[in-house]
Amino acid sequence: MSENILSIKDLVVHYETDEEVVEAVNNISLEIGKGEILGLVGETGAGKTTTALSIMGLLPAKVGHVVQGSIKLEGEDLLQKSAKAMRDVRGKKISMIFQDPMTALNPVKTVGDQISEVILLHEKCSKAEALRKAQEMLAKVGIVPERYKDYPHQFSGGMKQRIVIAIALACEPELLIADEPTTALDVTIQAQILDMMRKLQKERGTSMILITHDLGVVAEMCDHCAVMYGGEIVEYGTVEQIFDNPKHPYTKALYRSIPSLDQDVERLHVIPGMVSDPSNLPSYCTFCDRCEEKNSHCAEHDPWIVDVEPGHWAKCFQYTPEWEGGK
Amino acid sequence: MGRYIVKRLLLLIPILLGVSAIIFALKTVTPGDPARQILGNDATEEQVQAKRDELGLNDPVIVQYFRYIAGVCHGDFGESYRTGEPVLEELVPRLATSAKITLGAVAIGAILGVLLGVISALKKYTWVDSLVLVVSMFFQSVPEFVVGLVLIMIFAVNLHWLPASGIETWKGYILPMLTIGVSSIANYTRITRSSMLEVLGEDYIRTARAKGQTESKIVMRHAMRNTMIPVAQSIGTHLGNALGGGMVLETVFSVPGVGKYIVDAITARNYPSVLGGALMIAIILVVINLIVDISFVVIDPRLKTTIIAGGAKKPKKAKAA
Repeated sequence: MSENILSIKDLVVHYETDEEVVEAVNNISLEIGKGEILGLVGETGAGKTTTALSIMGLLPAKVGHVVQGSIKLEGEDLLQKSAKAMRDVRGKKISMIFQDPMTALNPVKTVGDQISEVILLHEKCSKAEALRKAQEMLAKVGIVPERYKDYPHQFSGGMKQRIVIAIALACEPELLIADEPTTALDVTIQAQILDMMRKLQKERGTSMILITHDLGVVAEMCDHCAVMYGGEIVEYGTVEQIFDNPKHPYTKALYRSIPSLDQDVERLHVIPGMVSDPSNLPSYCTFCDRCEEKNSHCAEHDPWIVDVEPGHWAKCFQYTPEWEGGK
Repeated sequence: MGRYIVKRLLLLIPILLGVSAIIFALKTVTPGDPARQILGNDATEEQVQAKRDELGLNDPVIVQYFRYIAGVCHGDFGESYRTGEPVLEELVPRLATSAKITLGAVAIGAILGVLLGVISALKKYTWVDSLVLVVSMFFQSVPEFVVGLVLIMIFAVNLHWLPASGIETWKGYILPMLTIGVSSIANYTRITRSSMLEVLGEDYIRTARAKGQTESKIVMRHAMRNTMIPVAQSIGTHLGNALGGGMVLETVFSVPGVGKYIVDAITARNYPSVLGGALMIAIILVVINLIVDISFVVIDPRLKTTIIAGGAKKPKKAKAA
């Protein structure tokens, strides 16, 4: 793997309210290489968005806390940076695309203003220059540049997401975090948006974290894939490794839940039980209660990370010597 | 847009017909004879009858009503029973006085209220927020005329800074404006606070943060305009209420405004003046509402399509005096 753009180490994030502490992210470590696309997969509440917001420094004020760990962008720890220094990072070095394009744009400002805002913030240039660049960005994402004077409500959902992407890429960030960028769009538009994102990513060599719960999107777009469950990364590897040879019972169960075109199935496979409650996580394996492959060991200890092949690891007892003892 | 304005102004016709019909109906059931009021108790019955004929009071009400409407259509609001002057000529300077006070008062209330609302939204759940809430609630729960009297006590009686009544100099306007303004602060504070909090939770604010924008500019450039949408609505209603409901305060401060004019006219059974005043206020309310609705388009571009397409919002019913 080439040089890393981002490395997260032992990150723990809690949401603390008067009533409870929600352990949203538990001790995750991740590395993303330059120009690489990492897929972050998992169901709702797995901690994907929290991880992304921690990188951006945009955890909800007062409630969200990074309890421990480091997030290094090109060797500099983002968690140690001042609020002002983080503002220079956001939009310039790291950008984020949010899930719902319908609400991500300010309804009372023209799209041209909204794109040029980020350019004016991070580049020394005149307003006219910024607006010209904004128009260029519109053209790049496939919108007629003359429409810079229009307001968000005059665009369709897919076009709004193109504008959001234009804002995110306007300052040529080194890392782009896309939080379920196509979830709110209909299927035909999804493919267009993904194609466009991949084209722009290739052109500029931007590294990317793609958050999704759609394994199809991961297969299509990503180089590496991290599967999150209960605030932890339970399996990590290249997309080929994870798709051809899934190791963690959760990943395997996810694959069994995907409808298949060649097999005639009455009902789709369902993972039994509910996602574990992040305000009350077990001390043993978080997936244990829903796992179809567990043995006595799993309900007593928290498994550790085990390399199953080079560059591919899973957080499961199955691949440790302890497994046999538990049977 | 032009069509929209015309359409809205046409709505004035049924509103004015309604307002004048109600006042005419009241006139028939209210005890007291205007002719007797004019001539005094010493006048003979013949004199009173002659006066009633002269004023047209012996005609059937319906005839009187349509005669009046026909006059209004020609810009003739009748003559005041008391002074004999045309009502319109008496009303215009009084309306100007009331309008000055109303505008000043709404400006004071809106500016202070919005400012406090923004502060308490940004400092939510802190002591600043609670303090703003308590102070603004206090001014809202005390009746306007009490606030007026207290202000008179402080600034006129004790400090001698401002006159207690009358508007001979510009200083006379200050206390009435302050009174109406201060009483409305709470309303603006509450609307602004909740609107600002809602807006700050919107996704586009997060987008602005993700761009690396500073918090102060996020509030000023992204949140403020969206916050102002419900506030502008409230300013419209407040302008109307303050203008139409200024009677008590104009009496407290002896301001020769339209509210006091109507009160005096009611006591004297001076119906042409009552009618004229009420119709004027109705017209102004409709126009203010129209201006407010148009100003929404400036604040919120999304409304342009609805309004130009003719999806007119219903104007609020004008309040009769």
